[in-house]
Amino acid sequence: MPRSPGTGLRFVLVSCVIAAAAPGPAGEVPWAFARPRPAPPPPVRDTAWVRTPVDRFVLAKLEAANLRPTPEPDRVTLLKRVTHDLTGLAPTPEESAAFLADPSPAAYEKVVDRLLQSPRFGERWAQHWLELVRYSESEGFKLDRERPDAWRYRDYVIRAFNDDLPFDRFLRQQLAGDELEPGNPAAVVATGFLRVHPEESNGADYRQIRQDILNDVTDTFGSVVLGLTVQCARCHNHKADPITQQDYYNLQAFFAPMYQRDDAVLLPPAEEAAYRAKLEAWQAATRPVREQLDRLLRPHREAMFAEVVDALDADTQKALRTPEPQRTAVQRQLAKLGGKQVTRRTDRAYRRLDGDQRKKYDDLVAKLAEFDRLKPAPVPTAMAVTDVGPDPPPTFRLAGGDVGRPKDPAVLRFPSAFGDPDPVVKPPADRPESTGRRAALAAWATGPANPLTGRVVVNRLWHHYFGRGIVATPSDFGEYGEAPTHPELLDWLAAELVREKWSLKAVHRLIVTSATYRQGSIPDRNPTVRAATKADPNNRVLWHMAVKRRDGESVRDVSLQVAGVLNLRAGGRSSRPELPAAVAESRYAWTPDADPAERNRRSVYTYHKRNLIPPLFKAFDAPSRNESCPARATTVTAEQSLAMLNSEFALDAARRTAGVILKGSGDRPAVVTAAYRRVYGRDPTRPELADGVAFLSEQSRTLGREKLTDATLPDPKPALPAADAAAVVDLVHALMNAAEFLYIE
Amino acid sequence: MQNEIAQTERANMISHSDIRVPHSAMPRSRREFLASAGAGFGAVAFAALNAPASDRDDPLAPKPPHHTPRAKAVIWCFLDGGPSHLDLFDPKPALAKLDGKPLPASFKKPVTAMGVTANNALLASRRSFEQHGRSGLWVSDWYPEIAKRADDLCVVRSCTADGLTHVAAVLQMTTCHQLPGRPAVGAWAVYGLGSACDNLPGFVVLTDTTTDPPGGNNVWGNGFLPNPYRGSRFAPGPVPILNATPPAGVSDPRQRAKFGYVQTLNRRYAADRPGCRQAEAQIASGELAFRMQASAPEVVDFSKETAETKALYGLDTPATEANARNCLLARRLVERGVRFVQIYMGAGSKWDAHADLEGNHGKLCAASDRPIAALLTDLKRRGLLDSTLVVWGGEFGRTPMSESGNGRDHNPTGFTTWLAGGGAKPGTAYGSTDEIGLYAAENPVPVRDLHATILHLMGLDHEKLTFPHNGRDEIVTGVGGSVVAGLVG
Repeated sequence: MPRSPGTGLRFVLVSCVIAAAAPGPAGEVPWAFARPRPAPPPPVRDTAWVRTPVDRFVLAKLEAANLRPTPEPDRVTLLKRVTHDLTGLAPTPEESAAFLADPSPAAYEKVVDRLLQSPRFGERWAQHWLELVRYSESEGFKLDRERPDAWRYRDYVIRAFNDDLPFDRFLRQQLAGDELEPGNPAAVVATGFLRVHPEESNGADYRQIRQDILNDVTDTFGSVVLGLTVQCARCHNHKADPITQQDYYNLQAFFAPMYQRDDAVLLPPAEEAAYRAKLEAWQAATRPVREQLDRLLRPHREAMFAEVVDALDADTQKALRTPEPQRTAVQRQLAKLGGKQVTRRTDRAYRRLDGDQRKKYDDLVAKLAEFDRLKPAPVPTAMAVTDVGPDPPPTFRLAGGDVGRPKDPAVLRFPSAFGDPDPVVKPPADRPESTGRRAALAAWATGPANPLTGRVVVNRLWHHYFGRGIVATPSDFGEYGEAPTHPELLDWLAAELVREKWSLKAVHRLIVTSATYRQGSIPDRNPTVRAATKADPNNRVLWHMAVKRRDGESVRDVSLQVAGVLNLRAGGRSSRPELPAAVAESRYAWTPDADPAERNRRSVYTYHKRNLIPPLFKAFDAPSRNESCPARATTVTAEQSLAMLNSEFALDAARRTAGVILKGSGDRPAVVTAAYRRVYGRDPTRPELADGVAFLSEQSRTLGREKLTDATLPDPKPALPAADAAAVVDLVHALMNAAEFLYIE
Repeated sequence: MQNEIAQTERANMISHSDIRVPHSAMPRSRREFLASAGAGFGAVAFAALNAPASDRDDPLAPKPPHHTPRAKAVIWCFLDGGPSHLDLFDPKPALAKLDGKPLPASFKKPVTAMGVTANNALLASRRSFEQHGRSGLWVSDWYPEIAKRADDLCVVRSCTADGLTHVAAVLQMTTCHQLPGRPAVGAWAVYGLGSACDNLPGFVVLTDTTTDPPGGNNVWGNGFLPNPYRGSRFAPGPVPILNATPPAGVSDPRQRAKFGYVQTLNRRYAADRPGCRQAEAQIASGELAFRMQASAPEVVDFSKETAETKALYGLDTPATEANARNCLLARRLVERGVRFVQIYMGAGSKWDAHADLEGNHGKLCAASDRPIAALLTDLKRRGLLDSTLVVWGGEFGRTPMSESGNGRDHNPTGFTTWLAGGGAKPGTAYGSTDEIGLYAAENPVPVRDLHATILHLMGLDHEKLTFPHNGRDEIVTGVGGSVVAGLVG
């Protein structure tokens, strides 16, 4: 049921001064569908406060409301904030020392440049993007099978962000890399965007599953690229936004020819040709053996084929029973989807061979293995998509979204509210086997006339920095979404992005070097706190910086970092860390990597399984990757406190951190100071030092009465009495449990 | 949409005098501390970093229902895999006559999970049925103990669902939708009503095996609702909640002192940042966590239950032990204010009797009969059945056609679920299937109506229980659904 206007989470105007842009009068094009009208940054009184043009937009609103910004916090806080936001990590003690000691007026900008150049930047921002596109390395549903090549898409995103690949090209590659840059392996991997959807590979009704996947891809495109809830128009015209049901299926028609390519070869043409030649040689040499194997297995395969296929929907049965060359486009798609379980079953046909036959089979397999020296080494492959062929399957408007009730045929037309001319769609010159539909869609989405794409992405950046976007609903710029708090700033940033040739790093830099971003986060430090709290209790006009909670991935990364064991190896096959005993028995659990260093890589490299998100991530609000997540909920729960207090992971991190601290010698004040520096990146205040020292001495006394096991002592074990050493573990563990570790100010 | 929500404390504080914290002038209570820190108590509980103004403070605070509730809590026994209605609650004399014969042409051929089964011969029930109690409800000899509670049951014989496969069907029965990613009905209930309990989760999931039901934790997920509404799956053994016990080798005094120091750090952090709601929330969630270390082991500690009670549930018999433990635990959870308990029996599609129905169901019925009957008996004698809705059912029933000669395929087009207590109409059979039990005939009850009715009994109107997500005010059913008046007593 759609929300009625003016209820729910709609922005409540707190005063007429701080009103957000109101939707235009009835009949006008809604703001999001109108092209941005970038105006120059407005004049402000306090020009001294302004660091980048961003600040003029923010300050103008503050001044209009007679409010002041909050003064900048100390350098430690600022460094922690910008390091977290750009890399997801904590500053190292060396980085802190360098920044604190740098007298240059550009010291902060130097830090920003260093962080933007760091490989850790792409890793951090890729996590946000991967969540948005519901990236996972398993297919979901009951089987939740692994997708062995999915990680290449993750690496593609990280590299794109690190290399500052222009955002328009980044989108075009993901939507139509196969059509636009067929010779570029990165562009092939990029189409993984269209392939990361969940999929029930052992389903029964593939006509429905094909439709579910198309819906999912259409909806995700709408959310991620356009920031529109197009899915509302799947069953009926959108209740609020000017998107008709026909628009929805017209949009879907751009994706309808998609065909899964899970074995897209990622080699330069010459190498691929060499591989194919070698493969053919092996095939020729082994033909007799393989034919014998085939004769042996064929009856069983055929029986199994019938068993599986009979259970499927009629269309898919027909598709699978039609010889490949005679299949229509839809039949090829259905056969691809439904055929997976057929292959999975028939691959096990040998199990039905009895005594003699089985022996014969084993002998033939051994014989086949003798030719292995001829076999080419496996080539790198990606999960990608292409079109099914130049003749696309038809798309219809589905009454009530029901795949069984096709109505009007779809046409290749962009949603009518944009008022854009219909695209000229033809197969790309060097890809005659494709339709060119997705290339046309990609060109439109990133074209100069598109009012949304640029605004949507700059708003996403803003959202991650300020905990709330200029539009607070980052994937809903429609009528039911929130109105922008700073519409002029949104348009100006979107225009800047285009002016900077779609360089996201340029926009990142504009934001993080602004005085707006550098504000303090403690409301009471604001000189106009009383008036501000009254006029704008929810900080819509940004009179102070938001406080953010670390997500689970960052909690883990920083814990490993503080413990000195974070492995920064980038890219490649995913890491499989240990799982807590409670989930290690799950059918979805993985076997941890044998090499402990491999287990301690950054969380963005942790194997992502839809049905088993590690409890620490889950506790800290990791979303389901079954649908696009534009903004995480941020909750504060007992579950998180328990994880930090009692999990093996947290204790282990504390033990290792204590081990590092105790490598240097020192009395209790020195230990407390070292712990504060290591965990919080700063020195303790005098009362904090006193508290810490008192805790150490009392805890040592308590522990002196206990028999302590190695499992709760520092790692490595220091040359200290066990009780003293254990107390240091507890001190560090407590620091890592406390708010200062978990929050970014 | 951004939700910034914190768990808060609602009831007893830990007495700070119990925790030794060095060198700190400790306020005597958190309330006092907050007063001294300049924040009103109402401001405490939540961390709305950037929450829109209309967001609620505390996600688990009790909320007023839409109407007077009949059930304060729900215990849902989920027979995972699809129990056969034809062999338990829905006797079909006509099917006995058609045993071994093909499906009569007068019946529409169904789409079945295993395809070929639509053409298989019909299989009569090998069970004997009798009428029980004053209500005269039919129950087969597989469920002799539950049969004794017949007058408490409201047997819905006309349930229908849409999913043919286990994942889709279990997801639909638990979240009302076949695709993963929607909130479970238990999550909706806790979202709507809050929790009546401050040291245990509001929605608890119990399983008899370590295997997940199909769909894994999606079937008790919070979907787009905030995290605190997610079902918490209790682990078997003395520590049911993950991380609710100190790590091995950490003594109680050591843990207490360490936690005291954590809170000292948090209080100093909060005091330095007046008005910072996150810091307050952190203190509150820490205290709740510390309390859970005591309450979680307590609720699974049956040492204070009498021998008679344990025997009643069948805790002393290996065959019934796992379900007995979970049923007794469910009662204890509900007594402590937990709102929604889902017990998976035969977790991992164990009821999925494509072959050897007799062997499969015989064993699983024996394992679940006594514990479920005992749960009804025990709730009733404690005066809790009136306010606790017990639900029995699977994701679908089974076909009258045979599979593998002696099994039955999935049947979502007509099957049985029963309700008891919590305002459900006792001693009733509602709706019917056709004469062979293939399709629902009279008064079909689709899953969305079942969910709407369960929420109705809990005092919630499923159309008013909304959550804004992606431009819609989402409701549990997505679209439609209505309360089945005939199930309400």
